[in-house]
Amino acid sequence: MDKSLHVVLMYGLTQLGFIFFFYSGDIISSTTEGHWLAIVIGLVLNLVMVWLYMKGLGYFPKQDIISIYSAVGKWAAVLFLLPLVFFLFITNIITIRAFSEVITLVFLANTPLWAIMALIITLSGYIALNGVESIFRTGVLLAILFLPVILFTICISFQNVDFRYFFPVMDEKFSFLARPPYWHSFAAFAGSFLFLGFIQPYVAYRPKYVLMTVAALVPFYFIAVYVPLFTFGQATASTFKFPFIVLMSTIHINWLMFDRITMFLLLCLVTFTMLFISMVLWKLSQVLHRCLPKVKPSYFVIAIAAANFIGCLFITNWDEIQSLVMWNTMLRFFVMVGIPCSIWLLGIRAKRMIKDEGA
Amino acid sequence: MRALKLLAAAMMVITLSGCWDNIDINHRVLPVVMGVSKHDGEYLIYLQIPEPMQNTTQIKIVKGKGSTINHAVDDISANLEDRVDLLHVKVIVLDKKYAEAGLEDTISDFMRGRDVSPKTLVTICDEDMDHFFSLVKKKMGPKGTTLYDFFEKNAGWNPQIALTRVWEVYRSIHSYTRDVAVPIIRSGDTTVVQHIGSAVIRKGKMVSQINSEETLLFNAFQRESTQGKIEVMHHASVLVIGNSLEVHSQMDGQTPILRCKLKLKVVILETKEHPTSDMIMKELNEGLTHQFNHMFARLQGSGADILGTGQYFRSKIPRSELKDWRTAFYPKLKLDLQVQTIIENTGFLELS
Repeated sequence: MDKSLHVVLMYGLTQLGFIFFFYSGDIISSTTEGHWLAIVIGLVLNLVMVWLYMKGLGYFPKQDIISIYSAVGKWAAVLFLLPLVFFLFITNIITIRAFSEVITLVFLANTPLWAIMALIITLSGYIALNGVESIFRTGVLLAILFLPVILFTICISFQNVDFRYFFPVMDEKFSFLARPPYWHSFAAFAGSFLFLGFIQPYVAYRPKYVLMTVAALVPFYFIAVYVPLFTFGQATASTFKFPFIVLMSTIHINWLMFDRITMFLLLCLVTFTMLFISMVLWKLSQVLHRCLPKVKPSYFVIAIAAANFIGCLFITNWDEIQSLVMWNTMLRFFVMVGIPCSIWLLGIRAKRMIKDEGA
Repeated sequence: MRALKLLAAAMMVITLSGCWDNIDINHRVLPVVMGVSKHDGEYLIYLQIPEPMQNTTQIKIVKGKGSTINHAVDDISANLEDRVDLLHVKVIVLDKKYAEAGLEDTISDFMRGRDVSPKTLVTICDEDMDHFFSLVKKKMGPKGTTLYDFFEKNAGWNPQIALTRVWEVYRSIHSYTRDVAVPIIRSGDTTVVQHIGSAVIRKGKMVSQINSEETLLFNAFQRESTQGKIEVMHHASVLVIGNSLEVHSQMDGQTPILRCKLKLKVVILETKEHPTSDMIMKELNEGLTHQFNHMFARLQGSGADILGTGQYFRSKIPRSELKDWRTAFYPKLKLDLQVQTIIENTGFLELS
């Protein structure tokens, strides 16, 4: 059965949390002018990678990337899947820890971090335990419940914009390419499209719709960066850790009975991020299950969730999150570029082999 | 497995109930107005707290002292039987002397902390804070929101009052091309507060002052609606019902030039000595232009770009030079304002 809608929603929702929390801050601190260029370069790379990945996966119907790599040989599986496992694991730790930090910053000032992290990981773990179908169903439910709220908050975020902050338009030196925050901004893309390679045996989807989602998400990337810029200006926006969150707390609406609109955005995005975390848990459990087929995947989910939680507890402050993100940079680019390209090349090879056999 | 699930669900009840370190609302005090002043390196904090009594609300003013704002608030909190929660502070009143010394730290702390919302209004008080708050307490109605309503757009706000929030002051501290005007108030004779103009804040420091009439022009320049303001001249008084602004910027070598056209739509309310409509328009245009030029000369002298004129040159000056907008370009800026009045109607009577 065609489940394109589920897949597409999953792909979109998991990115939104990253876009509005981390992407805007990363891009704003990576360059002082011409932010659009930085965004466009990231988006183009993302588009190319997603396209290559799906093109490559198209050569292997009903197979996930684990079996594709295993079929090539043990070395390929180790070479590609081991970094992937590390990347996903670290990403999960960073995500859980960073989002709990945001939650304490914005509203749960007195709640200890471990309680928030435990809540996030238990809920995500529970979703992941029930398998990939339940993750997708949750995704659809969350989209119905929260996407309208997100769209509303985005509309009103334009309240104080001054479009003249768009200038100066160009950064001629491309200096942002060498800045660590710019590399970190790719965290918004990496990780969220990889699941496409895991779900082939379970659900069918049309690549066309995924590419359409990539296009549909483009405005969100621009809004997340440019609305804070238009409101505060670069010099001010770069002093904020989470520009979009500060932006939301400056919105003043008389007729709305709620005083803090930040809360809506935050809570919606946190649910989307839980979805992301559960997806990562599921992916990890799939890979590990293939290595040790005797153990049930659900045990892996619990074990990984526990390991993640313990990992999170070891991070004591924001600087450590930042350095973890930094270490993850190499893995991130390897996973984001290496896996789609290798899958595509393997796909071409497989096609040629079939042709040769046929002839 | 089922038992495990049940256990997990039961544990959720504990963590999800939202009772973590919770302080009930009857044990919290929620100040509406916060006053900040600084004497001899010590912060003095005034909190205006509405206290619900039987059938009515009473206002309590409490005062605390400390080496930082949080220290002072903590001091108050320790002395009060309830915990102070700054989440609902709507107006921050700053001492004028303190504003002149520089607000950067305070404003940055407000932005950093999660308690005071960035959209809290900022005002400056032109008299002794003790005096101000004691008079405010005496005169304020039972609702206790007078100071807030004074600035609220759907309540007591008037177009000659500048409206500035914490985040805007913060932006002016960091922005290259933008400063802010903060309303100045003092306790009134018959009303609770009296508006006497706006403070000109440059990079978080009060450097000059403009009066209410000039604040109206400032608001018009910000494309804020000036609807409802009555302009009185020699021959007539008119009601402003709409305004728009056209701005054209250009660079002449290193000299920035700004040509602005302010269009006002007015309705005639009163006339004296049978003026013609041309006379009224001319009088209004000349009067406002004169007032504006006068204000702008003073602003330029103070080096504070509250009109945000630098914004219009962002596309024309590279960012590395824009950094010095306030010192290198702003003093040289030539601003040419034309006021164009449209008399929309003259009431039931013809102009003779």
